[in-house]
Formats: sequence, structure tokens, C-alpha cells
Amino acid sequence: MTSAPSSAADKRGQIWLAEQSVAGRRAARRLIAMGVGNTILAASQAGCMAVLLAGILRDETQTVSPLFPALGFAAFALARAAAGMATEGLTFRIGATVRRRLRSDALGRLLAHGPALLRERHSVAMSAIVVDRIESLDGYFARWIPAAAVAVLSPLLMTLVVLALDPLAALVLAACGALVPVAMALSGIGAGRAASRQFTAMSRLQTRFLDRMRGIATIVMYGRIEDETRALGMAANELRMRTMRVLRVAFLSSGALDLAAAAALVILAIRAGTQYAAGGLSTPVSTLFVLLLVPEFFAPLRNFSAAYQDRFQARDAARDLANLPEQPVPLPLLTVRHVQAQGLTVVFDHVGLTWDATRGPVLSDISFRVAPGETLVVAGPSGAGKSSLIEILLGFVRPTEGRVTLNGADIADLVPQALSRLTAWIGQRPVLFAGTLRENIRFARPEATDAEVAEAAQFARVTSFAAGLPQGLDTRLGEAGYGLSGGQAQRVAIARAVLKNAPLLLLDEPTAHLDPATENEVLDSLRRLTLGRTVILVSHSTAAHAWNASWGGRRIDLRDGQIVRARGEA
Amino acid sequence: MRPLLRIMALSSRQAPWLALGLVVTLLGTLAGLALAGAAGAVFTDASLLAIPLLLRLLGPARVVLRYFERLTTHNALFRALADLRIWFFHSLAQRMAGGLGMQRSGDVLARLVGDVEAQDVLYMRVLLPLVGALVILPILLIVLCRFDVWLAVIVTALFVTAAFVLPGIAAHQARAHGAVLSRSMADLRVAVLDSVAGLREVRAFAAEGRMLANVQAQEAGLLAAQRHAMRMIARAGSAAFLCGQAAILATLVIGRAHGVAAIVMVFTVLAGFEAIALLPRAGAQAGLATAAATRVLDVADGPVPSPDPKIIAAMPSGHDLRLEMVSFTWETGRPDVFNSLSLDIPAGHRVALLGPSGIGKSSLAALILRLAIPQSGRILLGGIDIATVAAADLRARIGWLSQSTHLFDDTIRANLLLAKPDATDGQLWAALEQARIAEAVRALTGGLDFYLGEGGHQFSGGQGRRLALARALLSPARILILDEPCAGLDAETERAFLTTLNDVADTRSIILIAHRLTGVERLDRIFRLSHGRAVAAAA
Repeated sequence: MTSAPSSAADKRGQIWLAEQSVAGRRAARRLIAMGVGNTILAASQAGCMAVLLAGILRDETQTVSPLFPALGFAAFALARAAAGMATEGLTFRIGATVRRRLRSDALGRLLAHGPALLRERHSVAMSAIVVDRIESLDGYFARWIPAAAVAVLSPLLMTLVVLALDPLAALVLAACGALVPVAMALSGIGAGRAASRQFTAMSRLQTRFLDRMRGIATIVMYGRIEDETRALGMAANELRMRTMRVLRVAFLSSGALDLAAAAALVILAIRAGTQYAAGGLSTPVSTLFVLLLVPEFFAPLRNFSAAYQDRFQARDAARDLANLPEQPVPLPLLTVRHVQAQGLTVVFDHVGLTWDATRGPVLSDISFRVAPGETLVVAGPSGAGKSSLIEILLGFVRPTEGRVTLNGADIADLVPQALSRLTAWIGQRPVLFAGTLRENIRFARPEATDAEVAEAAQFARVTSFAAGLPQGLDTRLGEAGYGLSGGQAQRVAIARAVLKNAPLLLLDEPTAHLDPATENEVLDSLRRLTLGRTVILVSHSTAAHAWNASWGGRRIDLRDGQIVRARGEA
Repeated sequence: MRPLLRIMALSSRQAPWLALGLVVTLLGTLAGLALAGAAGAVFTDASLLAIPLLLRLLGPARVVLRYFERLTTHNALFRALADLRIWFFHSLAQRMAGGLGMQRSGDVLARLVGDVEAQDVLYMRVLLPLVGALVILPILLIVLCRFDVWLAVIVTALFVTAAFVLPGIAAHQARAHGAVLSRSMADLRVAVLDSVAGLREVRAFAAEGRMLANVQAQEAGLLAAQRHAMRMIARAGSAAFLCGQAAILATLVIGRAHGVAAIVMVFTVLAGFEAIALLPRAGAQAGLATAAATRVLDVADGPVPSPDPKIIAAMPSGHDLRLEMVSFTWETGRPDVFNSLSLDIPAGHRVALLGPSGIGKSSLAALILRLAIPQSGRILLGGIDIATVAAADLRARIGWLSQSTHLFDDTIRANLLLAKPDATDGQLWAALEQARIAEAVRALTGGLDFYLGEGGHQFSGGQGRRLALARALLSPARILILDEPCAGLDAETERAFLTTLNDVADTRSIILIAHRLTGVERLDRIFRLSHGRAVAAAA
């Protein structure tokens, strides 16, 4: 996932992030206001403390009651605690809202783009984007964006307040405060590039560790445990040394922050002490107030620097998200045609399909007609274009030439839902979802009654193997259908097709990965399913013989995307 | 908390570095405390000259110490984390049998890796501030006691609450929730992976809306769990904040009676509580990490399933393989996989073991490689019971190639050298030629130094399998177990691969495990597995 990102992809990521940041800042407005509000509360509290302490300096402890400033201090403390909780709640809500929106958008785009995606991307990599990358964006919107704004607004506000009380102190604060971004920029220019490279190296080490873990069986088999352990240790060590070299510079910016805070405190404290020694403070309250304000002045800057790493993570996530396929333009509803769902005629009319112009057409000039209730076997070696033919009928891809009609309606004019109602499909390996066996069958038609599901399970002989499972049809299937054999999974697929009861049945080498005994059972169920339906079956050449022998029907042979032979009545 | 302590104990090798980080951190904390005290002391007229000097020294000292604190603690953390990873990898490799790695999916392993990395909160956020709190506590007590015992008692009680009691409570509360959190994360992951891996089904059944709704529902569950964790952490943080504020208020009100010394006390208390402000949050985070730590230890601390015998027998010279009355089940109580299975594979023979999936074909491979131990019966290699030899020696003799054989995110050369670290380039090319993949490798930029992506992604399924075959052929193994080597390949590629196999194996024995034959295999014998036994079928 992190392998050699192209600069164009990076660029798109940056643009995407910039666009998102505009909306992000709008969403963070309340959070920014709360951050500034928190500063005001803290300053008020410092004021109460200053009043109390000034009383001590003036030796008024016996004459003036501490009640009001103490109550004020306590009240502000409670208010700050409440505000702190509220801020965290709001931070979470903002992050959650952004994640929810981006996740639905990302998954929506993948779903809309459809099965063609699986040709170019790995499903695990895609789901890592939808799950982990989007999780890692939380900090950018919920912390970095507000922290960046508060780090400017709060110190500015405090400087203005101090300016009214003690102009010289305000100057000290402002000067020290200004030192922070300058030093950050200076050490940042050197460290920024290196740090971002380092971030990449760090994630590469994680990838390497993950890779070795995934392949741990292979390492054990080759007796290379010790070697690989050593190699992992060396890689980690080398990376640590390089990282430390970068951090030595990068930490200078945090050091500058510490330096600025310490300098402000020391300068202001010494000044106050000198004044006090020289005959007392003219305005003890404001002097102490300023002194107590120093930590609060630098707190927003600290938050800002702590949120810095959220930015790095966001950049990688942005690149992945920006390079997801676009949401396709929906079909205009006017062109949707109604198709008679009884007795379906399929016509291919000079159909051609090209994935990639440089690699030539996958299908060219394919024409045939399948009448209602008829079975057509499409035979050919792998790469002949058999599966592409099925994928056109399923609407996974659109033909680049010619047209395909179902009962006279062009397939290109049908919305996916309408097309889906007409077709049932059984491929080489059905995907089973997390959930029970029953839920997996019901996937074909969520509104089906329990009786209908049971009937479909009976027909496809799912019931016969489900009887041996701990909870029958209500047995949960593990990750990606773990626990069912290939034949059993294929029977679930047949049950789905039965439940769906569509007039066109598309079969793509449904028994290619089954052992002979299971194959016969599955074939038997399939044969019963084909009755009364229009069927298109694709299979490689040798297996096609067996199909023809037992099913009869017409057959066309494909080679290199063209029909080389057609047998049976036209 | 025990799992966390155990995880921390694993870094004992890095104790000097961890200690260095700790010492520098403590010095920094002390300097911070002294700086705050000195800043408050500017109003005590007794020490007019000393205090500004002290301030001028402590200010820079604090800055420098903080800088070195960051460096030393990060250095120690990286070392400890690297040790943890390596320990985990090594322990897992030792316990590979019993199905782990052969049966668990890569995603489960990936999640475990995440659990290992989640342990980084322990040192910097928990251990360092805790020790810091232990040092600050007596200082606060001494400074305050000089003026007012009651104040000292109140402030230290609040300090103990914030530094030790609240983090403890937060950790305890968060522990159970850690499991909820990771489960809801896993649920979301499964829902998303279902939608994406099932894109074809989803489109064919027009289920886009349903899948999206399902993911949104799982996401809502995750967000609710995260919100709960956030509240827990925020509550712990607020409670600590209020403790600190109460201590300051007490110092302000009670300390007034002691004149300007109160200012010193206030500044010291402020700094003391600031140093531990994040501990209760860290406690909650550590509690959440406990669940992860437990998972890590469960996997890495289990028994080694097939340890080497005390007295290791010498490896035999021959490689006849013989299974005698082997009975085996993965778990007691579950039905037997094999029941008195006997099988004879003379050296140099090529046999096929057939049977539908789930019959135990892969279990047989695990037994021969001693990744699992039969409950009764014995397995002989060259006439010697494999239970008496070293597992590493045994596995050097037996090569294993399956659908899950991994191609590493590394160069082709590095992937091949795994099988024979001292192989020459000539030997590498010879193996590639035998596996009929040399031509494809030559066409790549860099040839042997071509970098394979994650899981060998730039290669097609068939090419990847051939590369794995080349690696197996390069190894000194005399027996090759090919466990469904063509699973996941299309029929055409499968036949081409099996045809290649007919010519490769000189004097090696070959055990081909499959659910069906394609007709192109050249075999000496064929066995069919059924009812826990092998039945000879026609060759």
C-alpha cells in the first residue's frame, strides 16, 4: 500500500486534503470557539489567584476576606473541568462525523464502481483504505485543524489583555510567543522533509514486519527463524538510528517551545522580583496575573505541536482516498425500460469489448441469440473471453462495441437494480459473508419468507449438510465463509439462485474447483435449476464436452475473443 | 495489569536505556519543580541575588533536560518496541504448529501486529510519569510540611488520588472495554471486507444499499464504543484536573497565613500537579491496551507444540517415508482426522493423495513436517521415527509448497535465498529454469534484483506459484509436499504448472495433495483419503 507513491497521486492527495480542510475548518468553528473560551476561563482563574496572592504581598491577609476570589477560583475550576469534558465530546463528534461521511463516500464509490475494481486492486488493500486510512484521518479534522486555529487566536487574545495591564510584559510574551513559530519553521525546514521521509521509512518497517508475519509459515518451513529474527532486529536498529538522527533536529522545535516558555517565565519573574525588592510592586495583581498566565499562554502552542503528527498521517490517507474511483454519473431515469420478466431472450449483436487498447480486444464481433428456456454452452480455453461475456450480462462491464439486448431492451439502458432482477449467477467461487448460513441464502432476496429460504436450501441440498452443523441453517460462518468446503459453498450459491428465481441463469465454470463426487451432486442440483430458464454456461474446452454430453443444447467455441465454431440449431 | 507488567518485563534487555531515559526525565521534572518554586520565591526578600541567579540557571537547565528527555525516552522506546516485535515474531515462529500460521489468515496476524504496537503507551505515558510522581510526592510533602502539616496532608492526599488512585480506577474500568472496542473494530473490518471482496455478488444481487447500510451499522457500533472510551478517558482527566485545582485552592487559602512563602508553595504545587496531569488518562489507555496485551501473550506464550526430544537422533541418509497406524485429531473431542492411517512412499516416488476438501489432506502435511503430533502411531523417515530428530533438520529435508506459501516483499534473489542462503547465481537461475520462470524473470528490470511487491503482487498467480516452486527446488529437501499447489489458479494455468512439475524432480519424492487430478500429472501411485485412511487407487 505504501509502495512508491507516484507524485501525481501525491498531488491529488494534497488537493483533496486542501478541499477537505475548508469544510473541516467550518465544522471545527465551535471547537475553536471553545478552545478560546477555555483560555478565557483559565485567564480568569489566574486573575483570582493573582488577587489572592497579591493580598499576601500587601500583607492584607488579616483584613481582606479571601472568600470571593477563592469562590471565583473554585467556580472557574469547575467551569474549566466542564468545558474540558464538553470540548472532548465535541472533538469526538467532529471526528466521528467526518469519518462517517468519508467512509460512506469511499465505500459508496467502491460499490458504485463495482466488480471491475477487483481486477486492479486487492480487496484487503481496498478495505484497509475504508477502515484504517479513514480512522487515521480523525486527528487531522478533530485535533489538528482546531489546534492550529487556537494556537493563533488564544495567545493573541492573551497578549491583548496583558497589553492593557502591563505593556512591557505583553511585549515579552509576544516576543517569546513569536519565537515559537520562527524556531519551528527553522528547524521544520530541515526536519520536515527528513521527518516525512522517516515517516515513510517507519511505515515501511511496519510493512516489513507485517510481511514477515504473514509469511511466518514459509520462514519456519525453510528453517530460517533465527536468520529472519536477526534480520528484523537489524532493520529495526538501523531505522532507529536514522530516526534518532532526524528527531535530534525535529525535537529542536519542541525545545524552542520550552525555551520560549522558560524565557518568558524567567524574564517576567526576575523583573517582578527586582521591582518588589526595589520597594514593592505598583500593581501586584497584574504582575502576578501575568506571571500565572505564562503557562496558559504556551498551552495552545503545545497542543498545536502535539497535533503535528496527525498531519503526517492525514497526508498518506489523503493520497489513498483521492485516488479512489470517482462516483459514476447515474443513468438518467427516463431511459429505464421495463422488461417482461417471463421467458427471456438474450441477443448479442456484434459485441466487442476492450479493457485496455494496448492489449487488444477481449471480445470482438460476438453475435448470438438464446431463446427462452434454451441452454447455450460457451466453451474455450482460459483467456478466450468467456468470463467477460458473463460479466457483460451481469452489468459488471459495458461492451465497447455492438449491443446486448434482453427481450429487446438494450442492457445499457437498464439500471443495475433492473438488470439484477433478471439475472441469477453462479461463479467459480461464491463469496460467503459473515453471518449465518440462512442469512447468506437470504442475501439473494432479503424480503423472502423463512419458508422460501428453507425451500431454496432444500432444493440446493444445503439442508443435507446443514443438518450436520451445530445450529443447522443458523450456524454462523467465520471469516470469509471459513468452515464450508468448496462444494458446500457452491450449494449455498445455488440456493441463492433458487431464491432469486430470475429468468436468466448465468453459470461460470461452477464446478471448476470441486472434486468429482461433489461435482456430480452440484451438477444434479444445477440441472434441476435450469428447467424453464434461459441459461448461458461457460466452461473450458474439456469440461464443455461433459456438459454437452449430459445437457445437450447449443454450444459455441470461443478463442481469442472470437467465435470459432457454433454447433446446434441457430 | 499482569499482562502489561509481563510485556514490560520483556524489555529488560534494554534496561540501561530505559533507565537512562527515566533518570533524565526525573532530572527534568525536578528542574521544572525547582524552576516554578524559584519563580515564586522572587518575592521572598531574603534571597535577592540568589533567586534570579537560580532562575537563570534553572530555566536553561529545564529546556536542555527536556530536550534530552525526549531523545533518551524515544531511543529507549524504539529499542523496547523493536525487542517486543522480535520476541513476538520468534515466539510465534516457535509455536507455528497447531495450525497457527498455516490456518490463521494473514488478517488475524495483522491484527496481532497492531496489538503488539499498541503497547507503546506503557513506557512513556505510564511508567515515566508514575516514577516521576513517586519522586514529586516526598518533595511536596517536605516543602509543605515546613509551613503547615495540615496543608501538606491535604495536598499529598489529593496528589496520591490524582497520580495513583485515579489512574488505577481508570485502568480497571477500561480493561473490560478494551475487548469491546477491538471486537467492534473487527466487526467493521469484516463488514467492509465482505462488501469489497464480494463486489461481484453485491452487484449481481443489487445489494449495494444493503452492504453500505450494514457497514454503517457496524461503524455506528464502533463509534459508540469509541465514544464510551473517550468519555472514560475524559472523566479520568477531569477528575485529575479537579484534584490539582483543589490542591491549589487549599494552598492559596491555608497558605495565606504563612505570608510570601505561600507564593512558593502555590507555584510548586502547580508544577507538581502539572507533571502528573496526564496520568489518569494514561491509566485508561493502559487499561484499553491490556486486552491487546492479553491477546499477544495468549498467542506467544502458549506451549511449544512439538518440542525437540532431549536426545536428538542423527538424521537418516535415506528418504523413504512411512506412516504406521497413525491416528490424529486436532482437538480431543473432535472427530478423528486419521484413524490408523498407513502409507508408504519409497524414495524417489511420485504419489498423489486425493480427497475432497476437509478430509485432512493438509493435516497429513502438518504431521509429516511435525507441526502436529499424532495421538498414536509413528512416522518414519529413512527408517527413523521423526519424533526423535530435530524439527529444523527434518524440515530441511522436506519441502512444502502450498497456496499459502508466501512471497516476501523483497527481491526475487532474497526470496530464493531463503531456501539456500549460500546458493550461487548459477544455482538460482537453474532453479528458475526448472520451474519454467527464468524467462519471465529475465524480462524484468533488474532480473534477480527485481523487487516483488506485497505478497508478490506484480506477478500473476501462476508466475508466483512457479517462483515458489523454484524456491522449493533450490532447497536441499529430498521430499516435496505440494499441498494443493494450484488452488486459486484457473484451469489452464493449473495444467501448465503440473506439466512443469513432471520434469523437475530428479530423485526427490513428490507428494501431491489435491482434490482432483487433471490428467497431466505423471505419478507412480495414487491414494484416496477416506474415513481417516488412505486407499490405493489405480496409477
